[in-house]
Amino acid sequence: MLADSFSYFYQFADVFAFLVLSAAGLAIIFGMMGIINLAHGEFIMCGVYVTSAAYHAGLPLPLAQACGAIAAGLIGMLLEVTIIRPLYSRPLDSLLVTWGISLVATQGTLIALGSTFPGIDMPGHSFSVGDYSFSSYRMVLFAASLCVLGFVYVLFMRTRFGVHARATMQNPGMAQALGVRKGLIYAVSFGIGTGLAGLCGALYAPTMNLIPTMGTSFLVEAFVTVVVGGANVLLGTAPAAIALGIIRTGLNAWYGQVVGEIGLLIAVILIIRVLPDGFSGWLTRRSS
Amino acid sequence: MSAASNLLNGPQTLGQGRAFWSGAAAVLALALVYPAFVDSYDVGSSAYFLCWVFMALGLCLMWGYGGMMSFGQTFFFGVGGYGYGVIEIYLGVAHGGALASLVAALLVSGLAAALIGYFMIYGRIGGMFFGIVTFAITLALAFFLNQTAGPEWHIGAARLNGFNGMQGMDPLALPWFGGDIDLEGTPFYYFVLALLIVVYLLLRMLVNSRFGNVLVAIREDSLRAELLGYDTRRYLLVTFVIGSMLGGLSGALYCSWGQFISPSSIGLPAAAMPVVWVAFSGRSDVTATLVGTLLLIAGFQALTIYSEQWALVLMGILLAGTVLLAPDGLIVSLANALARRRARGRAVLEPSLAER
Amino acid sequence: MKRRALLAGAAALPLFNIVGSERARADANPIKIGLLEDVSGDLAVFGIPKLHGSQLAVEEINGKGGILGRPIDLMHLDPQGDNARYQEFARRLLQKEKVDLLIGGITSASREAIRPIVDRTKTLYFYTNQYEGGVCDASMISVGAVPEQQLSTLIPWMVEKFGKRVYTVAADYNFGHLSAEWGRTLLKPLGGEIVGEEFIPLGVSQFAQTIQNIQKAKPDWLYMLNVGAAQNSFFPQASAAHLDIPMGSPIKIMLGFEHKLFPPPVMANMYATANWFEELDTPAAEDFKKRWRAKFPKETYINDMGYNAYVALYMYKMLAERAQSLDKDTIRKVIAKGDAGIDAPEGHIVIDPKSQHTSHHMRLLSVDKENKVHIVKDFGVIQPYWLGQVGCDLTKYNPKEQYTPDHLPPKR
Repeated sequence: MLADSFSYFYQFADVFAFLVLSAAGLAIIFGMMGIINLAHGEFIMCGVYVTSAAYHAGLPLPLAQACGAIAAGLIGMLLEVTIIRPLYSRPLDSLLVTWGISLVATQGTLIALGSTFPGIDMPGHSFSVGDYSFSSYRMVLFAASLCVLGFVYVLFMRTRFGVHARATMQNPGMAQALGVRKGLIYAVSFGIGTGLAGLCGALYAPTMNLIPTMGTSFLVEAFVTVVVGGANVLLGTAPAAIALGIIRTGLNAWYGQVVGEIGLLIAVILIIRVLPDGFSGWLTRRSS
Repeated sequence: MSAASNLLNGPQTLGQGRAFWSGAAAVLALALVYPAFVDSYDVGSSAYFLCWVFMALGLCLMWGYGGMMSFGQTFFFGVGGYGYGVIEIYLGVAHGGALASLVAALLVSGLAAALIGYFMIYGRIGGMFFGIVTFAITLALAFFLNQTAGPEWHIGAARLNGFNGMQGMDPLALPWFGGDIDLEGTPFYYFVLALLIVVYLLLRMLVNSRFGNVLVAIREDSLRAELLGYDTRRYLLVTFVIGSMLGGLSGALYCSWGQFISPSSIGLPAAAMPVVWVAFSGRSDVTATLVGTLLLIAGFQALTIYSEQWALVLMGILLAGTVLLAPDGLIVSLANALARRRARGRAVLEPSLAER
Repeated sequence: MKRRALLAGAAALPLFNIVGSERARADANPIKIGLLEDVSGDLAVFGIPKLHGSQLAVEEINGKGGILGRPIDLMHLDPQGDNARYQEFARRLLQKEKVDLLIGGITSASREAIRPIVDRTKTLYFYTNQYEGGVCDASMISVGAVPEQQLSTLIPWMVEKFGKRVYTVAADYNFGHLSAEWGRTLLKPLGGEIVGEEFIPLGVSQFAQTIQNIQKAKPDWLYMLNVGAAQNSFFPQASAAHLDIPMGSPIKIMLGFEHKLFPPPVMANMYATANWFEELDTPAAEDFKKRWRAKFPKETYINDMGYNAYVALYMYKMLAERAQSLDKDTIRKVIAKGDAGIDAPEGHIVIDPKSQHTSHHMRLLSVDKENKVHIVKDFGVIQPYWLGQVGCDLTKYNPKEQYTPDHLPPKR
């Protein structure tokens, strides 16, 4: 009995972590900044590849993972300054540009590094509850997803940078007039977004097969979570991940992964139909 | 006649006046004699390129004129393609069966569009959410079809056959006195070309009509249009159904062309392609979409043939570069630049006349 | 690519064709072979070794005077994993380039997409992958292994060694469903029992639920039919959860070289049957590997797809030279004799006249905790018997269909 209830929690935690970690970076870039970033998966892939390279160069895994996140963040800032900046007023164009970037990134990686990349040893051990044995690393992922949610909340709600960033996203002209360095804020926010994508890749690197197109397996879940979350990502992402996590876990457990996958998509459609502003819109409306 | 010409040359479309139409006539004449000068492969290839343009035009109507960014064109492509296959296998090719299947496939995709459109438009789903919902529906259909490998998944004699794709349908045939004309190779090319001309002209007339003007008004300010007394939802729904049926038409034609359709024509990355074509060309105009889509499809094809592994890298650079340099889409930006240049030329010319 | 293949052919010719006039004739009239392999996108990991296999064989054959004294001109196009592009490029190669032979396709969907196009020409088509079997089409010659060769060897051995309780993890598409069905059919007479069966959508990469279902069902071994890079993530995740259950598969190791991608002991306890894997160490295999590694030193692994692509060209050379012609019907008369075979690196293999599939020398391999591959058992040559058994006989008629256990040829 205990084993079974823990097993449900573990499955839920696993899906929740996957949704939060894959969506967190996109929530900032798409949710806050309005850039439809189809290269999101490639920033995740970048995190994975840098992590693996650093790990095989001899760094301990957590350091290698930090390298992965930082590398993705820096590349993101560079891209923001060079390519993304003219696109804030043209969100639909950002879709094409980032799709182009994603093509260049995946195919360029394939040409430069080959069709596969060496994997990483899975860290940690397993533990048993009743008949089941579980991977401890999955619990690390769950903890990491909670930390990421906390980090994003504190960063944007409790720091000076966060206040400036939110002000700039809402009214760039006014923020600039008040002395906020708009360009820097945009670059850093974008970098944090891609850095979180890189972190997602870094964290999942030991659990996956490494190929240049691996980022796409995160993309659908990421977009779906952000959209269901709604415009206010700080409020929306967590409840969206909880709701979708419960739906996905239940369907997976009782009907298998196919129904889980299709059911998730249908749930998204229904949620949008009922809550057109996503969870955050609903929460804001209720509180006001 | 003049009413029709007014509609063809209305305010919502680029390309007007004698210069444009004589240019268009020249292009059409070239397209008509083209099969006489190339081999059967090139004719078939061109027909294949033309097949995709319908769904781009449909998206242009919904997105560019109606403001509905649908990620669902490949959903209707799939409905049209599978619909054609299933119905054709049931009816058989003789006695106009294949042609009837094409019409029936269009009706099925129209019905599907009406249901989905009603759900979304009357549920006030708009903006980016419209894209995400259509995208989710499209992915769900692709996932579903992927797992229909077993024999239990059949409609009549047609097996859906999962990921490996459905087969066994005949190509289109025109019933004719003294024997059907099989629409393959050159006849198929002419058939698709004729369809494309009709669809293009009808779309021009539609967007320049009163309906089109209201549609653009809704895109610009939906609330104001509603307060002026228009039932905006009905206009949007009709637009969505027409645009989606064009997606279905592409699918049915594709299925007839290759006698094969599989779920990978529906899911990712196929679903992103119409959006890419239309955005690249300039979504605000049907002519731009027509020209740009053809250029882009043929260009991608050439890149893939001649540059091997670098093809995708070049495509990526091309896309990103075009969007950064030509914000309204390549063809619309070019047309605007041309218009500006002509206007400037006139402006320069006039003072010099005055001086004289 | 095309020009390079031609140049290689032309450069090698003077060594062997001493008579000048013959060389001129040969140069003027190469044999055109069209090749469709995905070297971009998701499937590049398989397409690249396949392309390499074809290139190596063409270089070798051209170096020894070509086929019937004519050099091979290999024309490769990259369909990027897109079925519509497969159709378009197949038409291009067949109708515009008028190739003498078409080779290629990775997924079964890509093969089914181009088969109707090939069927309308008089060109032969070689499909060089192992697949779910069942295609009965006179235009197609299948070079890879099929279920009766891989599964009728693997499954009885697994049952005997590990037990009767089996859990199937399969990709949710045709290959997965058909192979799962083969498993059920083969297990029944052995008294085996399927204690769980799970179909996973393509592209899914998270397996915590599946791992737990397996632990609940307590199988003796796992029948692994997961496909693609994303689904391969099952292995590190299962290993991290200490699943520690033996696994049997017709596609792992020899095809996806998972033991070269994941650190040990992720692939430990994996058993697979294959006609080729790089660890095969017969003298002929060693010689083949040496030539491959000399041309492509950076290849991660010489997998069975690449190997089959290589073998296909020698198969064609043998057929053309025995027929003294490139004509499809003349070549098929050679196949009809039932002894059309070559000495491949795996051993002597022959094309079966009824199904036009290839016999293979099958071996069972296992992976240890250090990711080392061991040959556990040699099954000898296994015939592709299933299609012939259920009534496909291409020497008599040509249905151009793909049959499955639930879709059998009509009785004649």
